[in-house]
Amino acid sequence: MPEPLLQARGIVKHYGHVEALRGCDFDVYPNEIVALVGDNGAGKSTLIKILAGSEQADEGAVFLEGKQIHVGSPFEAMRLGIETVYQDLALAPDLDGSANLYLGREIMQPGLLGKLGFLDNGTMRAGARKAFGELGVDLKNAQSAVANLSGGQRQSVAVARSVAWASKVVFLDEPTAALGVIQTARVLETVKRIRDRGVAAVLISHNMRQVLEIADRIEVLRLGRRVARFAAKDATIELLVSAMTSGIAEEGAA
Amino acid sequence: MLMRIRTVTMLGLALITVAACSGSTATTASNYKLTLIQGVAGDPFYVTMACGAQAEATKEGVTLNITGGNKWDATVQKPVIDSVTAAKPDGVMVAPDDSKALLAPLKAMSDAGIKVTFVDTQLDDTSFAVSSIATDNSGGGTLAAQTLATLIGDKGSVLVVNVDPGISTTDARVQGFNDEMKKHPNITVLDVQYTHDDPTAATTITTSILAAHPDLAGVFATNVQNAEGVATGLKQANNTVVKTIAFDAGPKQIEDLNAGIVQGLIAQDPYGIGVAGVQQTVLALKGQATTKTIQTSLAALTKDNVNNADMQKYLYKATCS
Amino acid sequence: MTAVQPTRGQSIRSAVAVRLSPVVARWNAFAQTRGGSVVARMFSTNAAWILLLLAFLMLLFNYLAPGKFLTEFNVRTMATNVSVLLVIAVGETFVMATGGIDLSVGYVLLFSGVTSAQVMNWGGRDSTNYGWDIVLLGFIVALGSGFAWGVLNGLIVAKAKVPALIATLGTLGMSWGLAEILSNGQDLRYLPSIMGDMGASRIIDKIPLVVIVAAIVAVIGSIILSLTRFGRYTLAIGSNQEAARRAGINVDRHLIKVYAMSGTLAGFAAFMNLAIFTTTTISGHANDNLQAIAAVVIGGTSLVGGVATIAGTTIGICIPMVLFSGFTILGLQSFWRDVAVGAVLILAVYTDQLRRRRRERH
Repeated sequence: MPEPLLQARGIVKHYGHVEALRGCDFDVYPNEIVALVGDNGAGKSTLIKILAGSEQADEGAVFLEGKQIHVGSPFEAMRLGIETVYQDLALAPDLDGSANLYLGREIMQPGLLGKLGFLDNGTMRAGARKAFGELGVDLKNAQSAVANLSGGQRQSVAVARSVAWASKVVFLDEPTAALGVIQTARVLETVKRIRDRGVAAVLISHNMRQVLEIADRIEVLRLGRRVARFAAKDATIELLVSAMTSGIAEEGAA
Repeated sequence: MLMRIRTVTMLGLALITVAACSGSTATTASNYKLTLIQGVAGDPFYVTMACGAQAEATKEGVTLNITGGNKWDATVQKPVIDSVTAAKPDGVMVAPDDSKALLAPLKAMSDAGIKVTFVDTQLDDTSFAVSSIATDNSGGGTLAAQTLATLIGDKGSVLVVNVDPGISTTDARVQGFNDEMKKHPNITVLDVQYTHDDPTAATTITTSILAAHPDLAGVFATNVQNAEGVATGLKQANNTVVKTIAFDAGPKQIEDLNAGIVQGLIAQDPYGIGVAGVQQTVLALKGQATTKTIQTSLAALTKDNVNNADMQKYLYKATCS
Repeated sequence: MTAVQPTRGQSIRSAVAVRLSPVVARWNAFAQTRGGSVVARMFSTNAAWILLLLAFLMLLFNYLAPGKFLTEFNVRTMATNVSVLLVIAVGETFVMATGGIDLSVGYVLLFSGVTSAQVMNWGGRDSTNYGWDIVLLGFIVALGSGFAWGVLNGLIVAKAKVPALIATLGTLGMSWGLAEILSNGQDLRYLPSIMGDMGASRIIDKIPLVVIVAAIVAVIGSIILSLTRFGRYTLAIGSNQEAARRAGINVDRHLIKVYAMSGTLAGFAAFMNLAIFTTTTISGHANDNLQAIAAVVIGGTSLVGGVATIAGTTIGICIPMVLFSGFTILGLQSFWRDVAVGAVLILAVYTDQLRRRRRERH
């Protein structure tokens, strides 16, 4: 196996007396879709938040391409090429798709106007149409507020937003939870396309069938620790459920 | 739905008002249209002034509109003044809320050919006014001193409870009071106390002064808030000896007088101010000589005379009827 | 899925770098075919409806009071009388666009007016003869006072995490109290007379200078809100503060800037107020905050933030003044004005809610 792209080692995170992560390890390899599975409370979302910079670990280390990094904020994660599609709170519903795509990374007018803070909306809208097109998202009215879009389209905008800017890793926390069948297929197609572009995708999902269908590898968390790793082709639903609930397949068994 | 009905009613009202106005303009040329701009709408003092103005307007056969801001505030009154100017009445009686801030809009009113008369309050610059009609506040203070002296048997200490320093009307009242008291050698006037128009402060001041000056015989409160605070202080101290005299005679103050909370009221004559305001404005419109400055009379009301017929015109009203 | 070409355009960065690419041309064509819906889109905003309401009211009053309402004099005085409030309301629009509220504006105005007047009043009565240098100093003091209160509001809201309603209610009391302490409750009356001249002056003998100044403030505010990154961040924070934070926007710093802007505009308005009234008008401004907030809301700014236009706010300032003036000219009892303005406020929010609900249904 090649060198891992992103490595987490011995991550510990307390919330008061609750230990959400107790020495958790996690690996992401280049050009793969890795699924992160586990029962409720296993610590999946906490781990993602720490790797994406929106929470800070109490102990442990994170390595990107072999070098230890400190992800102090989401902004730092983004600078490192790590993007996240959150389950919630990802978009500004009153702004249009283009404004959301470029939020925090606006393209300014050239010259003096740009220095004065003027936005180049035309260029951003063109870029947004292209980005959405690449992901197969057809926004009927690109200037309409995101609040006016359907749930699936909104999620597509959120995914497109992360994918467009990620150069290393994209975390997707339950990206299809609220979606219908067709929209789900679209988003999964998008996730595959992320990998094809040379970016690693980390997928959190409760849907084991979906996980087995699109992931290359699966890592299982239980009670704040990694308890198993599988290549997707070797895994079955029974094996995954067993690891999630009893942790029988100990670390390193795969 | 309710709102829509209300809007329709309001528009209906508007139409009726306009119909009424346009109906009356069709009569003689001397049917002047006047507007009274109150210092603050709904206040008994200005309501009574409006009653006087309306009565005089009816007598003289002129049309009177009454308006005002809902707060004593020059920034609220300015748009009222501007809108009245836009409505082009023949004459305006106005009680400006500030002696300086409203110079420009009232000058513009005068420049538009409207006769302007000041009632109750006035501007620093009265050069363009037909007439300035106001209470003799200093005289009111004199009257207060004379009345209080009588009530306390012309001896003992007296306290003046004022609102804030620098208000011309209340300062004039205190000046008149102090000047008059110099003629009463057996009465000691204590230092003026200020309350910022807060009755609670007046209560605290009263109890403290009672402790320091057990011979306190009388209090002059320059407005109603202060008078009520003083009364509470006296009640707290179980003092039934000290006599209190206050300015103004609204329904609430008359109640206080009858209940024995105050023993005397110095009443201004807003009704008379309203009457004089219309008279002077109409004189000016007819091209006749006006009186540049008019000081209206005051009356000292006590429990004994408050029901007398000749005193009734000094009682401020909440409505005209 | 036909538009998907995985091998092409690996990143948006490279794509957008190519200006005037066919994509842009295609976008322009797209935008033009959509041009017919511009009017429709305009009427999906509150601004268009309240503009109609404003026009209707003006025509109605002109019909009911012919030759009195829509006169040069009345239009000019109405415009003058809204100019101070408009400047405050521009700042309030930005604050409310972030989902916040600034209750302190009226008394920050009062405080700034007092400090400015005190500086200009240094020589007592002689100060009426002071020149432009002193007036400029007074202007800077007014702006500085407003800015300081605005920054304090921003710090309390953004850093101390005190809800804006309470934070600005607190600074409302503080600025009011300090204004009264500084002035001893007395209006300062002896300002340089050139201030009053400035407040009364007109451009080409028609348009008051203060109206032009207020209009410039509104236009600049509108440009900032709709065309700049500052405006975009303001709306994004109001729309979803957490999303803005995750997008790398420094939300705290931006909120401080927005409250500082509101305070500075209140200081600016204070200077205009001094020029118009030539005194500090200490008994006033108690309701400036509510009037500004009502105007912003009538103008279609969402109470939870994220949606706002300065054009709407400007119309929202004008409607109460038109009602005020119209009712006064018609000679209606003064309290009807408050009833009517209250009704318009509720009506504006109600229609806005109706439209939102309709939007959410499809």
